[in-house]
Amino acid sequence: MVKRVFIVLASLWLVGCGERSWRTAETHEIMPPLDFSLIDEDGQSVEAEDYQGKVTLVYFGYTYCPDVCPITLARLSGTLNRLDDDVRDDIQVLFISVDPKRDTAEVVKRYTNAFGSEFIGITGDLAEIDALTNRMRVTYEYEEPNQRGDYIVTHTSAVFAFDREGEAQFLVRDSHPISDAVADIKRLVAEES
Amino acid sequence: MLRHPFNAPRLLAGGMLLMLITAGHASGQDVQISDARLSLLPGEQPGAGYFQLHNTGDEAAVLVGAQSDAFEEVEIHVSSEENGMAHMHALEQLEIEAGERFEFAPKGHHLMFIGRKQTLSEGDDVEVLLEFDDAQPLPVTFDVVSPASL
Repeated sequence: MVKRVFIVLASLWLVGCGERSWRTAETHEIMPPLDFSLIDEDGQSVEAEDYQGKVTLVYFGYTYCPDVCPITLARLSGTLNRLDDDVRDDIQVLFISVDPKRDTAEVVKRYTNAFGSEFIGITGDLAEIDALTNRMRVTYEYEEPNQRGDYIVTHTSAVFAFDREGEAQFLVRDSHPISDAVADIKRLVAEES
Repeated sequence: MLRHPFNAPRLLAGGMLLMLITAGHASGQDVQISDARLSLLPGEQPGAGYFQLHNTGDEAAVLVGAQSDAFEEVEIHVSSEENGMAHMHALEQLEIEAGERFEFAPKGHHLMFIGRKQTLSEGDDVEVLLEFDDAQPLPVTFDVVSPASL
């Protein structure tokens, strides 16, 4: 009973503070704002600031990945399809390749186009990609190439959400119910429009 | 049973049982595949094959590979997630116990289809031969689908 009262008080305190509490995993305190100098799917140099003004979802992957990456992006696309058109217009998804050697601008463009107009492919110099992943404290790793020269890339599996100013807000994992991701994305778009 | 030595259905059933026993190992016919889909995106990127496998035989079935005329290579792969990292690795073989149902599903076991030799789009069929240790290869038709449908 005492425990229950404490929980109620604690939640009231959280609400009272006006602190945003996300249903997915909060990243505001642990992750710096989005910052990069990379190449977009049209081959143009782009900075993180160019994407301010909309809620930005970031996924690190590579196009040679047949299973996890397309399934994650397809589910994300399905998640966005649950939102109203005007909400979706305020969202962009950056698919940032951690395999720029194989993922040219042209490749990431064709790849992301398959998931919807909100999806934008990003590639760039490996050093610039490393600067971004180090900053966000996410990792990726190349496996040994096989006889054909193909290699697998191990990469972070979460989707990172940033607000319109590029501030980190939350991340979505596979284990989070889609309804929680939908609720958080909706709220992030609504809070700032 | 002894009172009806010439009971035809029983003789037939007995004969079929004998055939199953003498087969010795799971043959291609003992493995049933359903819901075979090949998830593919436009371009040259590899695809992923998903299906349900049911070993209806009395012996374990060992899947050792696959091939298709539409692709240069087909490999058995498994994806996994550990500490927030997505991993994938190739498997030499996969044993499915007698009676077992096994699912090749998104973000788990899948066939990786590498190097498409022909243009493929959603709705196309792709013929694939599943290769089993000690048994006839099993032809399976995969429907080409978009990952968005999975």
